[in-house]
Amino acid sequence: MFDFDAGDDLDLIVETARSFAGEELSPRLRDHESARSVDAGVRAKFSEIGLAGLELPEAAGGAGLGSLARALVNEELGAADAGAALALDPLGAALYPLLELGDEGTLRELALPLLEADAARALLVCEDDAALVGSIDSAGDRITGSVPWVPSDRCDLLVLLGRESAVVVREGVRLEPLHGSGLRAAGASELRLDEAPVLARWRGRPGAARAMARARIHQASLLLGVLRQAADFSRQYALERQAFGKPIAHHQALAFLITDMRIAVDGARLLLHEAAWRLDTAEGGEAAAAAAYAEAIDASLLVGPNGVQILGGHGFMQDYPVEKWMRESRALGLALGGLDAAREDAGRALCDGAEKSSFATFSFGEAV
Amino acid sequence: MEFEIDDAMRERLAVVRERGRTEARPKGLEADRLGRPIPVDDPYFKTLIERGEGRTRWPGPDGKNRETGAKSTRTTVMALLSAEEFAYWDRGVGVAQPGPGLPEGNVLSMGTDEQKERFLSRFLEPDRPRWACFGMTEPSCGSDAAAIQTTARKDGDGWVLNGAKCFIGGASRADWILVQATLDPSKGREAHRAFFVDQGTPGLGGFKIEKKMGLKAYESTSFSLQDCRVPDENLLGGEARYQQTAGFKTAMRTFNAGRPVIAANAVGIGRAALDEALAFAGDHDMLGRERVRDRLERSARKLKLARLMCLKAGWLADAQKPNILEASMSKALAAQVGQEATSLGMELLGTVGARGDHLIEKLYRDVKAMDIVEGTGQIQRVIMARHLVQLPR
Ligand SMILES: Cc1cc2nc3c(=O)[nH]c(=O)nc-3n(C[C@H](O)[C@H](O)[C@H](O)COP(=O)(O)OP(=O)(O)OC[C@H]3O[C@@H](n4cnc5c(N)ncnc54)[C@H](O)[C@@H]3O)c2cc1C
Repeated sequence: MFDFDAGDDLDLIVETARSFAGEELSPRLRDHESARSVDAGVRAKFSEIGLAGLELPEAAGGAGLGSLARALVNEELGAADAGAALALDPLGAALYPLLELGDEGTLRELALPLLEADAARALLVCEDDAALVGSIDSAGDRITGSVPWVPSDRCDLLVLLGRESAVVVREGVRLEPLHGSGLRAAGASELRLDEAPVLARWRGRPGAARAMARARIHQASLLLGVLRQAADFSRQYALERQAFGKPIAHHQALAFLITDMRIAVDGARLLLHEAAWRLDTAEGGEAAAAAAYAEAIDASLLVGPNGVQILGGHGFMQDYPVEKWMRESRALGLALGGLDAAREDAGRALCDGAEKSSFATFSFGEAV
Repeated sequence: MEFEIDDAMRERLAVVRERGRTEARPKGLEADRLGRPIPVDDPYFKTLIERGEGRTRWPGPDGKNRETGAKSTRTTVMALLSAEEFAYWDRGVGVAQPGPGLPEGNVLSMGTDEQKERFLSRFLEPDRPRWACFGMTEPSCGSDAAAIQTTARKDGDGWVLNGAKCFIGGASRADWILVQATLDPSKGREAHRAFFVDQGTPGLGGFKIEKKMGLKAYESTSFSLQDCRVPDENLLGGEARYQQTAGFKTAMRTFNAGRPVIAANAVGIGRAALDEALAFAGDHDMLGRERVRDRLERSARKLKLARLMCLKAGWLADAQKPNILEASMSKALAAQVGQEATSLGMELLGTVGARGDHLIEKLYRDVKAMDIVEGTGQIQRVIMARHLVQLPR
């Protein structure tokens, strides 16, 4: 049966994330941005509430939840500060190849130590975003190449994800700091690999595809949070700001823009939740995740710049956060191969019928 | 019909291009990296002054300072082509240029001879880089310019100004600021007056250079006026002029002439992003992909049509024909397609765009202001709608 409720358990987690984000992250938005890191006290509080292990299996001491939980939590964190959200999560999307492709010892050896360390960061880079000598599928035991940008100033573990395999690297990773267009609370660097030894290599197309899908949910939900906040902040501003004798929100041109922004955000959220749910219930969902990321990026093109627009000249100034959200909503849409790769995957599935596409995409009941 | 420019225009444009490439682009990137406006004493400004730039269009008391060169290069169309080309290299540096800037038009059309002499003659052969600026926007009102709250109160042989202005380009470095104020906030536009306020006048202060998302090469500055006293002679046009009705229209006239310029700026920024995107896509073997080609084609098409719209607005102005609709249309459209071009550029760059050190990323931040200054995109549509469907005020 249809049910758009997340359920009490998830609601509780979301509420925890929301109050943490509102109390700890939002007020320090600009501080974290200029410090390129999250305040130690805030990090400690984040550890306490236990969100770092959200998707770790229970056997590994985590909450054993899936992509839907991640999507809901990330929306809350992203609404406060997507950069800080990345900084706070030691495993991030790098967890997915470990879960989907790795073996039993993987988590124990590679992931759990990062949860213990202070401010550790595992990074996921998809092969589309990296300039590598050779592909990660090739058999060599060393890897050389570069990644133009990672939202981090450190790398405790690097997972490179390709279409058919994933490679883990820990040594031989060099980071050169960058200014970064956004998400600076997480840092910003160019990443270089110079004959870095391959620590582990796993193969498997389905696992790689699932890891990619979960990473897209992760990214899309942070983006969604930013968009929700940009839309809502500017909506509220528009109710207070007066021009021509009434709140600017009551000029229809702006009122309709505000409504369209809301449509974009709510629409993107529905695709996201459906895709996450599909991934969690192991019924495929890779194409749906690609479509959800594509839709979130689409929405960002409307919502990011118009968040600034609604504040007029004030929006262009850094005294307000909307300019930050415009920059960051764009940056969040550039990773994992960006819009093109997402549309490619979603379009392929539709046209190749790989996922019984018309069934999954358009209709319920039996496919015709 | 003809869609070509003549040799004189081409030559003029080539000069702008060369200066844009060698000077404006590097200066703009530097200011962006350092996150501050180009300093007043930067040698770049001195070079401009030595080269004869940063001057007034005012013919001077004896009428000798006439513009020279071919007639075609003294047209609005030429000004728009130059504005586009300069913005292609760096729009922020364009605004940072010394000179009488935005208020010059008002002074030329409304000022008394004595005021032109007093406020513009220093720009005839400036001894050093000098600026002037126009202060309209206030913290609580921008689009609704009729609602400004800065007051002017008559006091003996002068005026006393009180209020606050924000986002005023070049305010802290300007020799004088043309401040828009009202005699009575309840009376709307007919009570508006413009006053020359000299830098250093007691009561003028509290300058705050804003931190902006983009266009960092020039300062956008907020300031306040506290019992700031200016003499009678500083009322633009003198009192007699206002016995008629002109108050608010002065400011609006400036904005009318300005809209196609902002549109041209937006096209220039968009074109720069498109060129960078094409180069990047070429270097990365992306041009063979239909998905990429389609979007580049669309962007190029929209930019070109925005440019034509903007030139049409300028051409109408040159022919002294009404261009209100075209001016607003060009700005509404150009700001949008300029923004889309930079956003597409980011998309094609992928993670390279997120590094924060690629020109397209800067253009993405810069271009947003084109939909805000000189009447936001919404206001352009309101203006058009007043004409097209008599949208009530
Ligand atoms: C980089 C920069 C440089 C600037 N330089 C100068 C300068 O040199 N001198 C100067 O005087 N000013 C300057 N400004 C200010 C600029 O002119 C104003 O920001 C602009 O007019 C918008 O006013 P506002 O910021 O008060 O926005 P508001 O008027 O508060 O508008 C907020 C939002 O409401 C919308 N809105 C308002 N009225 C309506 C309506 N009737 N229907 C639909 N929507 C509506 C607007 O479109 C906007 O989206 C500058 C601004 C910037 C960003």
